[in-house]
Amino acid sequence: MTKENVQGAGEEEQQAQSKKALKKQQKEAEKAAKKAEKQAKLAAEQQETDEDDFAKDRYGICPMVQSQQKLDRALVRVQDLTPEKAEQQIWVRARIHTSRAKGKQCFLVLRHQQFTVQALLAVGERASKQMVKFAANLTKESIIDVEAVVKKVEQKIESCSQQDVELHVERIFVISQSEARLPLQLEDAVRPEGEGDEEGRATVNQDTRLDNRVIDLRTTTSQAIFRLQSGVCQLFRDTLINKGFVEIQTPKIISAASEGGANVFTVSYFKTSAYLAQSPQLYKQMCICADFDKVFCVGPVFRAEDSNTHRHLTEFVGLDIEMAFNYHYHEVIDSITDTMVQIFKGLRDRFPTEIQTVNKQYPSEPFKFLEPTLRLEYKEAVAMLKAAGVEMGDEEDLSTPNEKLLGRLVKEKYDTDFYVLDKYPLAVRPFYTMPDPNNPKYSNSYDMFMRGEEILSGAQRIHDAQLLTERAMHHSIDLEKIKAYIDSFRYGAPPHAGGGIGLERVTMLYLGLHNVRQTSMFPRDPKRLTP
Amino acid sequence: MPMYKVKPVSPADIKIDVPSCMYKSPNVHGHGMNCGEHALQNGEVDPSLKALEERQDEVLRRLYELKATVDGFAKTVTTPDADLDASTPSPGPAESVFRGTADLDSLLGKDLGALRDIVINANPARPPLSLLVLHALLCQRYQVLSSVHVHSSVSAVPPPLLSCLGPRHIDSYARQRFQLGFTLIWKDVSELQMKFSTQSMCPIEGEANVARFLFRLLGAEPQDPAAATQMDCWIDKAVFQLSEGGSKDRAAVLRSLNAALGRSPWLLGQEFSLADIVCACFVLRASQTTSAPVNVQRWLKSCQNLGHFDCVYPLLQ
Repeated sequence: MTKENVQGAGEEEQQAQSKKALKKQQKEAEKAAKKAEKQAKLAAEQQETDEDDFAKDRYGICPMVQSQQKLDRALVRVQDLTPEKAEQQIWVRARIHTSRAKGKQCFLVLRHQQFTVQALLAVGERASKQMVKFAANLTKESIIDVEAVVKKVEQKIESCSQQDVELHVERIFVISQSEARLPLQLEDAVRPEGEGDEEGRATVNQDTRLDNRVIDLRTTTSQAIFRLQSGVCQLFRDTLINKGFVEIQTPKIISAASEGGANVFTVSYFKTSAYLAQSPQLYKQMCICADFDKVFCVGPVFRAEDSNTHRHLTEFVGLDIEMAFNYHYHEVIDSITDTMVQIFKGLRDRFPTEIQTVNKQYPSEPFKFLEPTLRLEYKEAVAMLKAAGVEMGDEEDLSTPNEKLLGRLVKEKYDTDFYVLDKYPLAVRPFYTMPDPNNPKYSNSYDMFMRGEEILSGAQRIHDAQLLTERAMHHSIDLEKIKAYIDSFRYGAPPHAGGGIGLERVTMLYLGLHNVRQTSMFPRDPKRLTP
Repeated sequence: MPMYKVKPVSPADIKIDVPSCMYKSPNVHGHGMNCGEHALQNGEVDPSLKALEERQDEVLRRLYELKATVDGFAKTVTTPDADLDASTPSPGPAESVFRGTADLDSLLGKDLGALRDIVINANPARPPLSLLVLHALLCQRYQVLSSVHVHSSVSAVPPPLLSCLGPRHIDSYARQRFQLGFTLIWKDVSELQMKFSTQSMCPIEGEANVARFLFRLLGAEPQDPAAATQMDCWIDKAVFQLSEGGSKDRAAVLRSLNAALGRSPWLLGQEFSLADIVCACFVLRASQTTSAPVNVQRWLKSCQNLGHFDCVYPLLQ
């Protein structure tokens, strides 16, 4: 209306002015016209919002929960939303995974840990336009309370974990709002690498994940990984307790480096310094000499190695075993391998959904093993490697590529990802390893491998103070520093053996992941100290 | 004439504890004591009793010997080619029926100083009976380290299958003392599979083919090409018709077995061979022993008498 009037006035004045001025006037007129249009629109919208918002009390942002009142409301978990609850009106607390508005409808995907469900909010007699708009504008990751009716769906909702139901929202309240800009998008964090490259979509690289660990840990994959890791620890404890082991706690602040001088962290200890324990080796053995017979301990291990590899951390959780045996150290190997097999079986039977979830993002072959565990001798391994074309000496240690190749050869012949290599050469083992009685060049020591990578190094320990002293001198170790260690064997010590595994490494190799930082919640390496 | 009665100094019936470590001499005053009792206590035995006992022992021993001899003869008569020592009373493990020699180095490749391990993956639903028999034969010829494993693809295996290779060898902790390794893995495979040297040999599939490979290690292959072909023919019949064929095929095989066994004690004539092992195992597995023809039943009994099939019978239940 106003536009037409302006145009009419311009036409009249056209003859009176020059062309340039005319154009200028035309432009100004157009601008004014647009402005007027906008104003008209706003006015119309204002009219809309002022329309009766009949659903005003069914949505909104709740005041911060400071325990103002104790509501007797039962909240249903997302994973319990199944067709059995159809037509029930329930309350759910979950995070907003995604929200998408489409005309008069808003589709929300609500997420709790690994489980997602679709929720629908449509303009109708229960919901007003303002309510739908409010829902569509909620930021991702906000925690909301929703009252909804559970409805069965004919077609399965493939993109959610709860595929047979959806929620029809009646009330929606925000409990904790998230900032609008997230440092990383969860969808990107869960996307498999290959898919990201193919479709040109973003994936999140590891450093970003580790810097924003709190959000990265919310992804379904991370939830699955760490639940499985908790299972590993629990199965380890349960199996050993059933075998009659006693759990011990060993000190982590120690006075002398146990494994070797180079890789220890030093801490200031009042007026002197102390070290952070590289392994509980010393104390495990002392417990055996103290007649505990079978002990295990779960605790942190600190290694100050400046190795920036995919499988090294400076701090990790060590699961260590030490056991006195009757006549042959194979009794201990059998016990350890049986424990590992029980762990693998327990994971296979109790965590199939978690393994599947991880496989979606990181596909890998399922973990295979034999019961009883395969035990090969070092000589056999050397023969296998030589047959495959590797040049190596009989008493040489296995390098990492050789270990991986051996793992592949064993997998090909025996179809197992887990095996024990027994009778290592004496020269490559620590000074406290018991030498082989029949062949002085070999020792009663063993390594265990998962998917071609070493997870455990163990041996029969020397329990005789004199032989221990000889071996220490042979390795040019300062006897003064290990005096307390040697002393513990002077008052009757049973023959014993043991070994230790790293929790993160075992989880990583079981799931077929490629970096140990994925299985460590807040990893520590030479370059990372936070979070 | 009545005399003073003196009071007895001591009561008449005191019980005296006679020490038993001393000799008892015969009571010269009393009768009614058996002389024999003393003699026994003094270690002497009535010579006639002794002679009687000795004769009894002798007779019993001769009876046992005769029984063993008769048993041995019975087995020899029904089982040609068995070299049982008929005079030994105890039925020990049967001696090897195969006298040939085999060069393990030429068959399996140069010994690199490590255990040569033969790996067999079998499905626990169809245990390879003929391979168990061959394993028993191999154990007699070589020092074999046998082990049984269960693969993670199988959840549970009945206990008889776990001990089907016999008890664990005492020296099993020292792998390099053995010439040959026999590792049986119960796994969810569709076809039985054998792996030996993955770099130079492809896996061998099928129970019959693995049986042929193991038989060669015994060095007992028939040198005559006709006999070798006949052996292969019988093995193929067992695999394709007896095990995979319908009931008509099975009946046909049993009839031809019956006919062949009517002419000679074993399938290839006078010599026990792989054909007998494989066919017998397949017949046993088809569990038609009771309905089998006469010659077949006699032949099965001979196989059993040889002792190599002892590991198979517990698995047939």
